[in-house]
Amino acid sequence: MSRVIGIDLGTTNSCVTVIENGQPTVIPNAGGYRTTPSMFAISHDGKRLVGHLAKRQAITNSRNTVYASKRLIGRRFDSAEVQKAIDLCPFEIVRGANDDPRIKIAGKTFTCPEIAGIILREMKRVAEEYIGEPVSEAVITVPAYFNDTQRQSTKDAGKIAGLEVLRIINEPTAAAMAYGATNRSEEKIAIYDLGGGTFDISVLDMSDGVIEVLATAGNTFLGGEDFDRRIVMHLLERFQEEESIDLRTDPMALQRLKDAAEKAKCDLSSRESTEVSLPFISSDDSGPRHLQLELDRGTLESLVDDLVQGTVKTVEACVQDAGLTPGDVDRVILVGGQTRMPLIQKTAGEFFGKGPHKGVNPDEVVAIGAAMQAEALVSDDKDLLLLDVTPLSLGIATAGGHFAKLIERNTTVPVRKTHIFTTTRDNQTAVKIRVLQGESDVAADNDLLGEFVLSGIRPAPQGGPEIDVCFDIDANGIVSVSATDLSTGKEQSITVNATGTLSQDEIQKIIEEHELYEVELKA
Amino acid sequence: MAAGGGAGAIGARTPRLASDCDLEGLDLSPAEGFLLSRIDGHTPQALLRQVGGLPPDEVDRCIERWAESGLLVFVSSGPPARSGEGDSGFGEASASAARAPVAIDPQLEISAEAQQAALAMDAGLERPYHEILGVEPDADVRTIKRAYFGLSKEFHPDRYFRRDIGPYADVVERVFRRIVEAYELLSDPATRAEVQRDLAAAAQAPPEPQPEPPLETPAEEPAAEISRPRKRRTGPRPFSPLTRAFAQRRAKAKSFFEAGMAAYAEGRWLEAAGSVRLAIAFDPRNAVYKSRFVDVRQKVADVRFEQLTKEADSAMTFRDRGDALKLYEEALHYKPFDPQVNHTAARLAWLVADDPRRAKEYAVRACEVEPEQPEYRKTLGMIYKAAGLKANARRELQCALRLNPKDDEARAELKSL
Ligand SMILES: Nc1ncnc2c1ncn2[C@@H]1O[C@H](COP(=O)(O)OP(=O)(O)OP(=O)(O)O)[C@@H](O)[C@H]1O
Ligand SMILES: [Mg+2]
Repeated sequence: MSRVIGIDLGTTNSCVTVIENGQPTVIPNAGGYRTTPSMFAISHDGKRLVGHLAKRQAITNSRNTVYASKRLIGRRFDSAEVQKAIDLCPFEIVRGANDDPRIKIAGKTFTCPEIAGIILREMKRVAEEYIGEPVSEAVITVPAYFNDTQRQSTKDAGKIAGLEVLRIINEPTAAAMAYGATNRSEEKIAIYDLGGGTFDISVLDMSDGVIEVLATAGNTFLGGEDFDRRIVMHLLERFQEEESIDLRTDPMALQRLKDAAEKAKCDLSSRESTEVSLPFISSDDSGPRHLQLELDRGTLESLVDDLVQGTVKTVEACVQDAGLTPGDVDRVILVGGQTRMPLIQKTAGEFFGKGPHKGVNPDEVVAIGAAMQAEALVSDDKDLLLLDVTPLSLGIATAGGHFAKLIERNTTVPVRKTHIFTTTRDNQTAVKIRVLQGESDVAADNDLLGEFVLSGIRPAPQGGPEIDVCFDIDANGIVSVSATDLSTGKEQSITVNATGTLSQDEIQKIIEEHELYEVELKA
Repeated sequence: MAAGGGAGAIGARTPRLASDCDLEGLDLSPAEGFLLSRIDGHTPQALLRQVGGLPPDEVDRCIERWAESGLLVFVSSGPPARSGEGDSGFGEASASAARAPVAIDPQLEISAEAQQAALAMDAGLERPYHEILGVEPDADVRTIKRAYFGLSKEFHPDRYFRRDIGPYADVVERVFRRIVEAYELLSDPATRAEVQRDLAAAAQAPPEPQPEPPLETPAEEPAAEISRPRKRRTGPRPFSPLTRAFAQRRAKAKSFFEAGMAAYAEGRWLEAAGSVRLAIAFDPRNAVYKSRFVDVRQKVADVRFEQLTKEADSAMTFRDRGDALKLYEEALHYKPFDPQVNHTAARLAWLVADDPRRAKEYAVRACEVEPEQPEYRKTLGMIYKAAGLKANARRELQCALRLNPKDDEARAELKSL
């Protein structure tokens, strides 16, 4: 049987692992690194570069280097997140045929699942080189707050990379699985995951290899990148103040600033102060200008304090959602590179009243958990079980544009829930069932998953008929919805097919194109 | 079910790629390639007919051909697709599909003992919830959770991921769903109280004329005939002692809700909010109440905002300006993006509280909401100036002047920079 792998497809870094003799192994890439930058570039001479190679040339080729594309996948072009990214990214983001954001570098346009697919293919290749045989199946992780479209787009990316995706699981849940595989006592744990692009918090209950998700919350648009941006803004303001030069319009300077900001941020995790030095960052009539600034930990903390406090609010809500108080949580596990920042460790420690758990590697634990879930699914040794949940609430639109939730988020799957609805007009003989996913109480703010009409309702005064709406999610997350008129027994139903931002033809075309490209490489 | 169409058995099959298949050498059209890409070991053939991008009979032909060539194998029969047929995306389901009897089958990838255990559980799904979990009626939450975890290890569908377990796929999934339901109801004190009240009521009421399904299969006998008539989901459940108490509570909830809506119609928002909240307390699962509550809450927020700003305005003139700032800030809690209140709060935070950071935040927000308002720009510029950020101050003041060239104060401020 061929081996299954686990992939943490991160905003900034990706990591791949496999289980060997029951033990998880993080697979290093050709350069010996255990994580690979989630970057893709087309070099000046037209070469396609992935990972460290792409990162290395980013400064001199920022317009043709894609990073943090996970922030765009599965979103609509008009969404606030994409518009914000357009303002900030040095590469070009254009509107795709399905109102999806696409990335244009070196004159060629890529869809987001395609970029993710290229990175996944690289991770697959890293694994195959290490294992010495082809790999075709994987469990891939996504932020807990990804919606259906984002999840399906990630699945499409797997397909483009030539991987069958056994499951998509949540990043914090994966981290919990890695922890639960070796720590089998009865515990309630909190996973605080702050990576490059997303923040997730999950509270879980575990005992002897069974892991139950109690609650999850998060923000798919908050991460280390935003910390970097605050530092860049600060540097820009200071530089403008001192030199009266606005670097905002200079892509190369911006890219250098961004790099320096991240480096300074990481430095300040282990030191009290650091120097940001960017010689020849700009020039004007009076000659070259250098940026030379001292940055201390206190300043950094004041720049990002509201971001950190924002995570605390989310954590608070999540713990409450789980029906717990902070003191009930037995263990706090920090995941994601950004949690190396002392302020985060201090803040999380203070909130839960206990220091964070030291035993896990924040960069690798998610990928390890993914491999463990993959192994738990396909192997005969059923020692680890994830009681997975729906990430977002499901329900239908009701009169007046409201959203009636039938299945609350964090409900264990498989699940079935029914609820009785009625008509809003006299002698109404048909109702339209619009199936929605999301947390807003306003129907229009949620994602539409599908719709159908139940007709032939016996004419009656408004509020008379009883229409039973039933939601069903099976173990693989497939949603079906039915509506039954209780007085006639008449029923209509649909299975909701999750769709990404790409149509079926488009995925196929991309697969073919990439095959061509592979052939080209080999030849 | 209608979804199976004329070829129910074929429709219920779920194909997946054989693990040793060789995709490289295939000669496929793009359409066939797409169909192949949708075969993931989860999607039953009936569904593939709809989503595969080819006519249904063409889908069947392709799958047949690929299966013959060893490219595909079939996983267990999988859950029956519940979708309708035809282009409309939905269809009418016939309500009378009966569940076929399930027998012990040594060929399946599930041990005979596990089959036996699943059938025994399946036969007893109408028992009281605590019996399903195998705990005492008064068991504590921890015991309930342990029982739930233990049963999950045995009956979670993932245990048989990709295993060919034939009809047991349905049995196991059904059992697991009921286990989850039992756990959810018993682990929440509110729903658990209902369950217990109803159990007590059921014990007093005469037993419903209902043949007990056999709970256990004698191990010696070939358990071929355990089956139950399929209960129509829409009809009353045979063991449903909860219904009565729930109905009472629902009626109460409804009367609160109606009172709430009446108050709402007359503009008594606070009263409406109180009543709807009570309705939700009595019928927490009622989605309509919850969604209406949002409306009501919005109205209350509007009212609160009005009250607070009025009070703040009067504090500005008659009382302490520090008080006024607090009141405006509280008002912003209800309407965070009101530009005018943000602007006033910015000025107060700067001039009274001497907190330029906070002041900047409010001023920036006011400018974000109404970027063309010269007053807001001027305030932001002056705040920047006070904080020593001259370049930013200059930018904002210039902007203010551009928007309102007659503003002498802005001009003076700009000059003094
Ligand atoms: N020592 C450090 N101190 C502070 N921040 C750090 C440190 N090391 C790494 N980071 C930050 O962590 C972030 C990357 O974390 P990680 O690799 O966990 O993210 P990711 O998994 O790619 O993203 P996500 O999980 O959000 O999709 C970057 O923003 C990086 O700057
Ligand atoms: Mg991560």
